[in-house]
Formats: sequence, C-alpha cells, structure tokens
Amino acid sequence: MSASPVETQKPAKITVKGLRKSFGANEVLKGIDVEIAEGEVVCVIGPSGSGKSTLLRCLNKLEEISAGHVIVDGFDVTDPKVDINEVRRHVGMVFQHFNLFPHMSVAENIMLAPVELKKATRVEARAQAMKLLERVGLKEKADARPASLSGGQKQRVAIARALAMNPGIMLFDEATSALDPEMVGEVLQVIRDLAAEGMTMVLVTHEMGFAKEIGDRVVFMADGVVCESGPPAELFGNPQQDRTKEFLSKVL
Amino acid sequence: MGMFLVFGGAGAAMAAPADNGVEGKTFVIGTDTTFAPFEFRENGELTGIDMDLVRAIAEAEGFKVEIRSLGFNAALQALTSNQVDGVIAGMSITDERKQVYDFSEPYFESGIQMAVAKNDDTIKGYEDLKGKTVVAKTGSEGEAYAKSIAGQYGFTVKSLDQSATMYESVKSGSAVAVFDDYPVLAYGVAQNNGLKTVTDKVPGGSYGFAVNKGKNTALLAAFNDGLAKLKADGDYQKILDKYLANPTAAQPTTFLDLLGKSFPALMSGLKNTLVVTIISFAVAMAIGLLAGFMKISHNIVLRGIATTFVNIFRGTPLLLWAFMFYFGLPQLTGQPINIWVAGVLTLSLNSGAYVAEIVRGGIQSVDPGQLEASRSLGLGYGKSMQKVVVPQAFKMMTPSLINQLIIMLKDSSLLLAIGFAELLYQGQQIYAANFRVTETLLIVGVIYFVAVMALTKLANYADRRFNK
Ligand SMILES: Nc1ncnc2c1ncn2[C@@H]1O[C@H](COP(=O)(O)OP(=O)(O)OP(=O)(O)O)[C@@H](O)[C@H]1O
Ligand SMILES: [Mg+2]
Repeated sequence: MSASPVETQKPAKITVKGLRKSFGANEVLKGIDVEIAEGEVVCVIGPSGSGKSTLLRCLNKLEEISAGHVIVDGFDVTDPKVDINEVRRHVGMVFQHFNLFPHMSVAENIMLAPVELKKATRVEARAQAMKLLERVGLKEKADARPASLSGGQKQRVAIARALAMNPGIMLFDEATSALDPEMVGEVLQVIRDLAAEGMTMVLVTHEMGFAKEIGDRVVFMADGVVCESGPPAELFGNPQQDRTKEFLSKVL
Repeated sequence: MGMFLVFGGAGAAMAAPADNGVEGKTFVIGTDTTFAPFEFRENGELTGIDMDLVRAIAEAEGFKVEIRSLGFNAALQALTSNQVDGVIAGMSITDERKQVYDFSEPYFESGIQMAVAKNDDTIKGYEDLKGKTVVAKTGSEGEAYAKSIAGQYGFTVKSLDQSATMYESVKSGSAVAVFDDYPVLAYGVAQNNGLKTVTDKVPGGSYGFAVNKGKNTALLAAFNDGLAKLKADGDYQKILDKYLANPTAAQPTTFLDLLGKSFPALMSGLKNTLVVTIISFAVAMAIGLLAGFMKISHNIVLRGIATTFVNIFRGTPLLLWAFMFYFGLPQLTGQPINIWVAGVLTLSLNSGAYVAEIVRGGIQSVDPGQLEASRSLGLGYGKSMQKVVVPQAFKMMTPSLINQLIIMLKDSSLLLAIGFAELLYQGQQIYAANFRVTETLLIVGVIYFVAVMALTKLANYADRRFNK
C-alpha cells in the first residue's frame, strides 16, 4: 500500500508549484509546493482556516488560481488553453456535504456524467452505476432518492458518483466531518478500499487516526503554507516544527 | 359594369332605378364596435339605427353591404386607407372631417339632453343643480355643453368614460344628473335604465355617412337617394322609433335571460383572455429566463441590461405600456400595430420583469455546492445549469410562477382600455347596450373566478406531475 522510496521515482501525478490564492485582499495560499506521485495517498491536516480546502479546490480549479502552477496528469490547469472540463474528468471530488443531486435517483446521480459527456449509453451507464454501487455496498438503493438515505449512505453514493468517469485521482474534503460517529466507519472503509486499489488520493481530514493509518504522507498546513510534511510515523511521532507540535497537542 | 349592362333590361322591367352605379355590387362598410343605439350587438348580431338604416338603403338601391365592426377610430383609418368603402358610425359631420371625407346628407339630428334618476323629483331643470355634481362623457359634446353652463347654474361636472358608468353613478346618487347625447339617453330610457330625461334637447351635431374624399361617389349618391326614399315612405321613422321610442321587447328581462343572451359574447371574451394570457406567459417565460440568467451573469454589461429592463417594467404601470404600444408605437413607426401584438407585448414584458426576478431568486436559492459537484464531474457550465441547477430552481420557482400566471390572467383585463375584446371588455359591451351593469359584472366576475380556479388546479397538477 505504502509507496516505497524506490517507487517515489514514478512520475508525479500532481505537481503544485508556487501556488498562491487570494480572495480579494486576503491571501489564503501563500506559495505552496507539493508533488504527489501516482498511487500516493496524501492526507492534508491543519487548523481551521489554514487553506486546506482552498488548496484542494485549486487542484481541479474550482477556485481561480492567483499565481503559480498546478499540473494534474500532465495538464497545467492554469493554462487557459487547457480544457478544464477534460482535466476534471480525471479527478473525482468528494465534498463534506455530499452535494448529491436531490432531483435524481441514486443511479441517475452516478449516470449523469457518463451519459451527458457521451462516454456511455444510458444502458451502459446504468450497468456501470450498479457496479459502483455494489462496490460501495448500496446496490439496493439504486432507485432511491438521495433524501431517503442516511449520511453515510449519501457519502458512499457521492464517492460512487465521483468514480463514474474512472478518474485517476480522488480528492476528499473532510468526507466524514458531517457524519454521525457511527457512520464514519463505513465511509472510511470505502476510502481504504480505494487506497488498496492504488488510487492516487488527496484527503483533507480531521481524523488523525485515519490519516496515520492510510496516508503515505501527511501534509501539515498552517496560515496558507505547508509547514511540515512527511510519512505519518515521522510527522505524528516526531514533529519538527513548533507549529506542528502545538497543533498535534490539541488534536491528538 | 358589364354584368349590369347584360341584365339592364331585366332591371328596368322590375321597376328598379336607372343605372345608379351600385346595383348588384357589394360594399364594405366600417362601423364602431358599440355605440348604442346606433350600433351594438344583440345575440351576437350587429344591430342599431345605423345598421338598420344602411341595410334598408342597400336593399332599396339594390346593392349589398358587408359590415365590419372595427371601432370608431379604426373604421376611419380603414376608410382613409381604402380598406372599407364607407363608414357609418354615429359620426358627426364636422369641418375637419369634411376635409378628408365626403359626407352624405345628415341622416340623424343629434343633440344634448340631461337625465336624472327616475325616482328623483327634485331636479326639474338646470336651476335645481346648484351646488350639485353632474356627470358627462370625457371629450363629448355633452361634456362641453355641461361645462359651458356649469358656472351659470353653479354645479360641478365630473367626466367619465362610458355611458353605462355615467348612468350607474346617477342611479347610485354620486351624481344627480347626466349630460349625454340625446339618442343615447333616449335609447337608455327606452331600455328602462332607471333614468328619465327632464330637459329639452339642445341641438347638436348631425350624423352623416362618409366615403373617402373623391371616392365612391356612386355609393354616396345611392345613400342619399335611399335615405330620401326611406324618409318618404315612413320606414326611416319606424327605424328611429324602434330604438328611441318603444322599449325593445328583445332585451333580456330575467337574470337567466341575461345570462343566456350574453353567454356567447362572454365566452368569446374568455377565449381571448385565455389565449392572450397563455401566449403572453410563454413569451414572459422566455424573456424572464433570459433576463434572469443575465442578472446572475458575471458580465457587467449583461447584468446592467437585465437590471434596467426589470427596473423599467416593474417601475411603471401596465396600462401605460398598453397605451404606449397600441397608440404611441404606431406614431413612431408609422405602422399600425395589431392589437394582439400590442396586448402580448404589454403583458409579456411586464410579467417578464417579474419572472426574471423569480428566476434569479430561484437559481440563487440552489446550494452552490450543486453547481460545484456538477462542474467537478467535468460537466460544463451550461450543461450543469441545464441538468442540475435549473431543474431544482424550477421546483422552487413553480409556486411563484403559478402566482404570476394568475396575476397575468387578471391583469389582461386592463387591455380593454385599448379595445382588446377580452372578457371584461365583452361585459362592458353588453351592459353598454342593456344597462344591466351589476348583474353583468357579477357574471363576468364568476367567470374570472372559475377560470382562475381552473388554471390554478391545472398548474398545481402539472407541478405535481413534473416536479415530483
Ligand atoms: N469563497 C471565499 N471567499 C472569501 N474567502 C474565502 C473563500 N473561501 C475560503 N475563504 C477564506 O480562506 C481561508 C481558508 O479557507 P479554507 O476553507 O481553505 O480553510 P480550511 O483550512 O479548509 O478550514 P476548515 O478546516 O475550517 O475547513 C479562510 O480564512 C476563509 O475564510
Ligand atoms: Mg475546509
């Protein structure tokens, strides 16, 4: 599961260089440099407001990028000539609040992108949706409305939906923060399975235990910069920066 | 002409007049929509002094007439542009009109008369009007006359738009007397409209039949000839008496009778109301969607255009635009405008402004996370809007849109001011002829209510069906 030192020679799946992002006069990301290898699982932790979500949303350009470069799967998303919709098909995203489409059934949520982007006929898309639902353990909910699902079920459907275009990268923004504690486990299990299959993933999380377990690398952000990053054992066991120590002492 | 020569011998044998240039021909005659007792509809048929007269003259002179009920101004415009051959519409012969039209001999001597409520014994003449209020029709000779003596007798003149409303205000006591054209008053009294005349007729204008200047001279001559014949054999007086002297037996007496007689006209009004509402609403939806999307656009120019549009049409009365499109626009463009076009423009632009706000509000009420989720799947902005945001927005917008539709159905009644033949307009036409104001309005009200209820039910059904 973990990328060995040898394997880090693999080409970078995501490269972030000198990324800056401002909302008006408020600079939220102040120069971020990160490389993420194929198959690597990176967990992003840090205090509230440090810019974790913003960083994640810059990776698929849900936020306009103020300066620097973000290269995903070889595409520079800051290049205006790059078709961002094409890039986004290679990057699945899972949100804290699920954002399922309430006017569609569970299966239709998953089928929307493949059908509308003409990657599959409705019949093929439906068959694929059923496979994805089976993978997240919700096959029997295919024709239910999202409103009738529990939080954990909703998030598993959202993961299935994000997988519908067969992305090489998955982004998770606090995927379990809005869930009741008893439902966190079922969602984490799905993410664990994805990691085991070798999916490249970036997870923003408050679940330190899970970050320790699943992460190949943990990135600690504070005040819009990457303060410290390294394998979970090192970062959690022997943090180098005062800022990291202070943060960990509060959350562990 | 050739035809006439062939049959000339036979015509002479039947003691018809010598070649009068009109025999066997058909002439198109324009007239007003309702100006009782000269022209009005009874059981859907055009009738009245003008109609009886022109038909009797046509018969006496051996020609045929095709009557077009166009409205007074439209009839004159049609005459100017030679779309009709002649106009008979209770029209006074004036010097201005003589410059553009040729008139027949006067066929009716009009005048002004004063009437009071039937049971009012206090007002017997102008002297009794001191300190009181009288009503007269806006822009009429009756108004001019009343104002000319108002100072002398110390009364106030209030101007109203329609004979029927004037009579109602006298009966209800908000005015003590009405000054109106003598034939109109006489006809009303003959219809038992609850008034009685108390003064002598003040001689006023003479009515004439008109053709375009220098055109249709044979028709004009035939009219004069026929009129003289009718006067000579007493038929002319019979026609006048029919409308001015004896109460017309044909007028509805009971409520059911009124309902039965007015129903066909009211249904045609309802049809026009529904059709103009549905067309206008479809156009308003298109305008509103466009303007609504422009309002949430990132382009400041588009946003500015949409905001200006919304502000203009929300900030001005509907009726103003009805007048603007129907009367103002043709003067700017020099092109007459179809009344349906004017009506639909008025309703749809006004409603479009409100729909734009509903659309904007609806779209902005959809969680931004929905658009982000769709965009993150690789769907473009347009597709995301179409498949994800707009369907949810519509669900939220539906109650407001149904509301807007119902407001429009009711507001369409304002189009009566430009003469659009919708439901309330038809009601007015009916009580203008029979003076049963309250009952007619009651019937019209019930029809509106039923139509609104039916439309609400239909819209709610569609809502449940498509927005489950
Ligand atoms: N759309 C926006 N407009 C203006 N400011 C924003 C916007 N989004 C985020 N910010 C600001 O950027 C800063 C970083 O926000 P971000 O959501 O990235 O933090 P975070 O690390 O994800 O915090 P949390 O753990 O609370 O989710 C915050 O100060 C926030 O107020
Ligand atoms: Mg966040």
